[in-house]
Amino acid sequence: MLPAGPDVASGSVRTVERERERLRVNNEDEVRLVVPATPEFLRLARVTASGLASRLGFSFDEVEDLRLAIDELCFMLIGSKGRAGTVHLRYATVSGGLEVAGVGSFTDDGIRHPLTPFSEQILSALVDEYSVDDDGEGRPGFRLRKQRHGKPASAS
Amino acid sequence: MSFDPVRRTELRAMFVDFAQTRDGALRHELIEAHLGLAEYLARRFSNRGEPLDDLVQVASVGLLKAVDRFDPERGIEFSTYATHTVVGELKRHFRDKGWAVRAPRRLQELYLRLGKIISTLSQELGRSPTIQEMATEAEVSEEEVLEALEAGQAYRFASIDAPSGGDDDGDSLGSRLGAVDPQMAGAEHRVALSPLLATLPPREQTILHLRFFEGLTQSEIANRLGISQMHVSRLLARSLAQLRNAAETA
Repeated sequence: MLPAGPDVASGSVRTVERERERLRVNNEDEVRLVVPATPEFLRLARVTASGLASRLGFSFDEVEDLRLAIDELCFMLIGSKGRAGTVHLRYATVSGGLEVAGVGSFTDDGIRHPLTPFSEQILSALVDEYSVDDDGEGRPGFRLRKQRHGKPASAS
Repeated sequence: MSFDPVRRTELRAMFVDFAQTRDGALRHELIEAHLGLAEYLARRFSNRGEPLDDLVQVASVGLLKAVDRFDPERGIEFSTYATHTVVGELKRHFRDKGWAVRAPRRLQELYLRLGKIISTLSQELGRSPTIQEMATEAEVSEEEVLEALEAGQAYRFASIDAPSGGDDDGDSLGSRLGAVDPQMAGAEHRVALSPLLATLPPREQTILHLRFFEGLTQSEIANRLGISQMHVSRLLARSLAQLRNAAETA
């Protein structure tokens, strides 16, 4: 909370407003998660996504889709056995939806798992948008966006 | 489970025949005849928080192994031999499940309750319920609902496609079950996208087809197939994990 002091001088008000704006931007519903790049820890990636989706009022069907999509895309990063390193995930709530971006930061020479046509078919059915790309520093990554299509959010 | 003496003699003769001929139809008949045993043994493990359907499937894999490996010349009853094999398969299943099996019992119980709640709410609301609605109905927090969903479905990536025998063969559960359902429209298209699909049991293929090629939601699939949405969800997650693992080793 910003202090609501008695200072009403216009300069101070502008400063406070700017500060409020800065905090508003920084306090967006964005969550960052770094997990070891092993399948055991991917449950945290799913639970985090489910928790945020739930806050947005996603239906059970939609939450389930999101979890499957995260599994599919994380598999592309770490495979079924995992890699040495970490997966960095960023979750951001956007109007009526959730965006998830993941980047793998690995210390081994494991192979990449490109998306197969079947994976693409699956992802198209599960989420509204997805892409697979390097992060600009040669690290493999993905991004997905899932909109809430069900009833309007009554969630917080 | 037991057979009358006539049937038992008949089955024994079939095993002797099968040991020599390895005839597929005979094998199928022997498996069918003993599915009751597999289900009976699966039920003995059903109080551990795992859905019975899954356990029956695991037990059936054990039964397939038992039928294939049984040597009628050794003088023991097939049911004795199969019980040992099937129970071994079920125990391995629990051992391989990792986190999910270690989930607190209250979460496992909540997961089972949620299955019914989803079904009831979906009917009442005419749509898929939100997590909040499920939590309210179950009188628990949203976090508990989410944890329970994860507990029920946290199949480790490798658990399904890991060698199910653990001894002399490398066959996975996926390679042992089912074949392509020839009635399914568009099968060629799907198989072209992933030849591994054909390794899934027909029901799983149908569910994948309805979800990813027909665009039905999980709840719509559950209604169409007459099974719970939780079950659809579980089978989808498991099938996809199995396909990913199989693709990796292909």
